[in-house]
Amino acid sequence: MVQQASTTGGSARTLTMARAGREAVIAEMRKDPNIFVIGEDIAKLGGVFGTTVGMAEEFGAQRVIDTPISETGFIGIATGAAMAGMRPIVEIAFVDFIGVCFNAIFNFAAKTHYMSGGQFKVPMTMMIGYGGGYNDAAQHSQCLVGTLAHVPGIRIVTPADAHDAKGLMHSCLRDDNLTIWMVHKAIWGLGWLGTALKTAMATVPEEEYTIPFGKARTWREGTDVTLIGYGITVHHSLQAAEKLAAEGISAEVLDLRTIVPLDREAIMKSVARTGRVVVADEDYMNCGVTAEVLATIAERDPQILKAPAVRVANPDVPVPFSRPMENFALPDSDKIAAAAKSTLQS
Amino acid sequence: MTDITVPEGLWGSDDEGVIFAWIYADGARVEAGKLVAELTVEKAQLELLAPASGTLRILAPAETVVRKGTVIGKIEPV
Repeated sequence: MVQQASTTGGSARTLTMARAGREAVIAEMRKDPNIFVIGEDIAKLGGVFGTTVGMAEEFGAQRVIDTPISETGFIGIATGAAMAGMRPIVEIAFVDFIGVCFNAIFNFAAKTHYMSGGQFKVPMTMMIGYGGGYNDAAQHSQCLVGTLAHVPGIRIVTPADAHDAKGLMHSCLRDDNLTIWMVHKAIWGLGWLGTALKTAMATVPEEEYTIPFGKARTWREGTDVTLIGYGITVHHSLQAAEKLAAEGISAEVLDLRTIVPLDREAIMKSVARTGRVVVADEDYMNCGVTAEVLATIAERDPQILKAPAVRVANPDVPVPFSRPMENFALPDSDKIAAAAKSTLQS
Repeated sequence: MTDITVPEGLWGSDDEGVIFAWIYADGARVEAGKLVAELTVEKAQLELLAPASGTLRILAPAETVVRKGTVIGKIEPV
């Protein structure tokens, strides 16, 4: 990793996504007493992923609230508090358990701003962990990004490194709508999930900064094929691009970075240049983000494709517990590289 | 020269820990009291603060297994 001099005069810091996101939350909480954090194990433990470590000590039990295992209750509390003028942050460590909150999220948090003609805003941010790859079986390994992205009224950001984690968290906390900051568990920065992925740790400036919704990020430029992903699949795609480069294939890696809104212009611009595209997503394939990306190309200009597009995603199965079976089901750099090569056959 | 030692009281058991990440690169200037490394013991993430200000010298890179009392780096006076 390239170490750059920080603009604040100190040495450059390389942070995990958990620590970078936490820095943004703390900065916003110091400025706005209406922000509070609520969820399971966030106060005493500091969050399953360490995102809220130290916050209870600094901000007290009124603003950093541990709850029982009662997602339906605390999402309802947060939604109501947001309508009444507070700015809640809710942590759901595992997206798998969000189903019991769908009424509050889909019918109230996502729609009240619209249905009240702007009289009630719902400035609420959810911090959610998703994804598998560590043998936690079908009820602790889902992504469900496409499920949430399907409903209007929710902004969804999916940072792939610590720099974007901080900037996108600031953007979410300053927005007056329901925003969801979703991080794949394997890149969040958890010691208990093994070594931190080096490409997910990044140099993070001390000062505050925002990253706009709906702006994709090009991690690597290439000319033969575009590899599109978000979160963990950005890192798989970067590894695939290395493997492809060794075989003389130049792959571009595009990180969607925010799923809603989606940077359709960036998709079109990159694929128009390369003519070939692989979209990788750890979520279920059926009606998912991969389909939305390819629908964009089909609607706007299918002529830019020189070969059929390829999707690499969960083949619509519950994520298996068994390691070889899970490895078979989930995307990885080998599958993405093979898909890229298949687009170069025609 | 000040040693960066894994403090005896950082965790309760005699378990081994592992250096999860260094926040700064070898040779970087660090400030006393600021976070320099993260350690993992069992499922817990622990913080190690700089014992002095100066130039960081990393002796044990990320992923090294450590025990309480292990010297994992040094801080040279500037």
